Amino acid sequence: MLERIARPEQIRRWEGDLPVRHRYTPGVAGDAFFTALEERGVLLGSRCESCAYTYVPARLFCERCFSELSADTEVGPGGELVSFTIVFRGIEGEPLERPQTLGAVRLDGADAVLIHRVEPGEEPLEIGERVEVVVEPRSRRTGSILDIAGFRVVET
Amino acid sequence: MARRVAVVGAGMTRFVRRAQETGKELAWEASREALASCELPLDRIDAVCLTSAPDAFDGVHMKGEYLSDGAGAFGRPFIRTYVGGGSGVFTAIQAYYTVASGMADVVLAVAEEKMSSTQPHPQGAFLTIFDNILERPLGPNLLWIFALEMNRYMTVHGIDKRDIAAVAVKNKRNAADHPAALLGQADITIEDVLASETLAWPVQRLDVSPISDGAVAIVVASEEAAKQITSDPVWIQGVGWNLDTAYWTNRDLVFPEYVANAARMAYGMAGVTEPRKQIHVAEPYDPFDYKELHHLEGLLLFDRGKAPEAVRDGVLDRKGDLPSCPSGGLLGVGNPIAAAGLMKIAELFWQLRGDAGARQVPGTPERGVAQAWGDLMQVGTVVVMGREGGPPTTATRLETPPAATPATSLSDAGFRSATGAVEDEIGARYAWDAGVAIGRFLDGLREGKILGRECRVCHRVLVPPRMFCERDFRGTDGWVQVENTGVVQTFSICNVRWDMQPLDEPELPAVIAIDGSDGGFLHTLGEAEPEEVTIGMKVEAVWKPVGERTGSILDIAYFRPLRGEDAG
Repeated sequence: MLERIARPEQIRRWEGDLPVRHRYTPGVAGDAFFTALEERGVLLGSRCESCAYTYVPARLFCERCFSELSADTEVGPGGELVSFTIVFRGIEGEPLERPQTLGAVRLDGADAVLIHRVEPGEEPLEIGERVEVVVEPRSRRTGSILDIAGFRVVET
Repeated sequence: MARRVAVVGAGMTRFVRRAQETGKELAWEASREALASCELPLDRIDAVCLTSAPDAFDGVHMKGEYLSDGAGAFGRPFIRTYVGGGSGVFTAIQAYYTVASGMADVVLAVAEEKMSSTQPHPQGAFLTIFDNILERPLGPNLLWIFALEMNRYMTVHGIDKRDIAAVAVKNKRNAADHPAALLGQADITIEDVLASETLAWPVQRLDVSPISDGAVAIVVASEEAAKQITSDPVWIQGVGWNLDTAYWTNRDLVFPEYVANAARMAYGMAGVTEPRKQIHVAEPYDPFDYKELHHLEGLLLFDRGKAPEAVRDGVLDRKGDLPSCPSGGLLGVGNPIAAAGLMKIAELFWQLRGDAGARQVPGTPERGVAQAWGDLMQVGTVVVMGREGGPPTTATRLETPPAATPATSLSDAGFRSATGAVEDEIGARYAWDAGVAIGRFLDGLREGKILGRECRVCHRVLVPPRMFCERDFRGTDGWVQVENTGVVQTFSICNVRWDMQPLDEPELPAVIAIDGSDGGFLHTLGEAEPEEVTIGMKVEAVWKPVGERTGSILDIAYFRPLRGEDAG
């Protein structure tokens, strides 16, 4: 029953898309997190006392025990580099002009890690070293994850 | 031998437009409420079943995993299912068999939907529900299928639109007593419904349930666990689900046989032999008002074409002989798709426990049926629930759902200006090829021929053609040229585009049964005034000039009425 395709250029294609856009609002906990980031330049987490775990960004509930949480715990700005990667190619596989470094950081006072860009320094990065959050100046903050410019290594 | 299974708790958020909460936060609010209603900590949950609409709907990849933390799935066996609008009831079925099989003792079943993320209109995410090659070139609108089914149902049975509007009135009035409802309206009248804007005749704006955000959760337990958890479990006595053919234009649009098949399966399991006597409260699926009537017939609670009389005579009222959608249904409480189906299960739980407060149907009902339906009229899902061993002991319980359950509605301005909000698109394009059967069908159209495939076992000529017969599950036997004429099975006069913007000229979509075949397809009518079109009208294909044909469904420009003698 299967027909062999001898001239693939003659196969007709019907092209289409899903003509939708999406607008995401950050929710109850996200609103508190982004408002604090924009207005005060600080990172808010949520502490679950019964699980002894601090989430960042802030959350409305603890996924471990389902307790209600509030955005009550300021974390960072210092932290520990848990892991990092250096990205040489972009989303289409194209070489990047400047390699981009991404880090997973456990901020002081938090248990969850936060992923963001790492500013390149003089020395190669090392897992376990101390980093800190760099927040954009107030005039450039808009209530976005990009209000955080990234992490940089703390010189010792 | 399957174990006995009960629902022991339920919770829901308010159904709102533009919820401030994220999908996760909505899921958590409902899940927390369900656990609190039976005083269970999360660590008593063995497994989680979740349902939510396709990822394209929210633009969130693997939405099941995204929502899992709000559904209590951290560190637990977890599965997400989706069967279109049938999903909410299906996730209760899945929780049922997860417990009945002995895989888990206590399961949390969660349904969440956040439709407000989709811009400019959630229908955009549903356009690929139509066949990409045979139907989308016609510019279909989701309203078409409802309008087409509604028209045929009304015409074949001679139903007055007033009796259909009465369903919307009943449900919006019922919803006025529901603390979680989006569109409760105690003083709405049939005239209000009949005066509302005609979207796709015969569908008017108030015939349709509203776009909503919300979540619902239930706790399902084995017999042993249920008896530890509550003195008033509500038993899942029967479950059923069934699919019709994937070719919606080949179906009986008057009677939902797949719902009847699902109902027979559920009733058989529950030992229900006379549904009209043994079912005391019903929550049939009502995304459109006529669907409730259609589904009550599919649930074998009324003879074919007789449900409209029941609503007219008050039989379906909350105090009637068979209360139907005492919650207020999708038309009144709201339609966050997957969540709306599970809301019906939650409502039966509250009704059968005597917990429904102002919505309580009188007479301590013992057994109810909930049903949902989905995709292109294809899926039927049915659950029969019952109270056993005497009247409920409601001593310590609060009215449910508590009026305080969150889900906070943002204003449109608040939605547009929310701190931290991000707007984005998936940005993917697709290319579909026609495959073997439809490829040949389209070659035929280019030559001015309509081709079908013959199955010599069931003696059907299949249009649209397929290389296999889905009934006999064998290869079809050969190509047959059928006529260029056909009969209008149903039609609509559509005034809006998929994004609900008005059209300059109304469109006339129709399902046309092609002469010489056992099927038909979706196309549009031309050279016809809307008022002269009737179901049963003979029509003929009007072909594009040979040089303009490309091997597309649009090689037929439209179908026009056969005039004079040919009209037979």
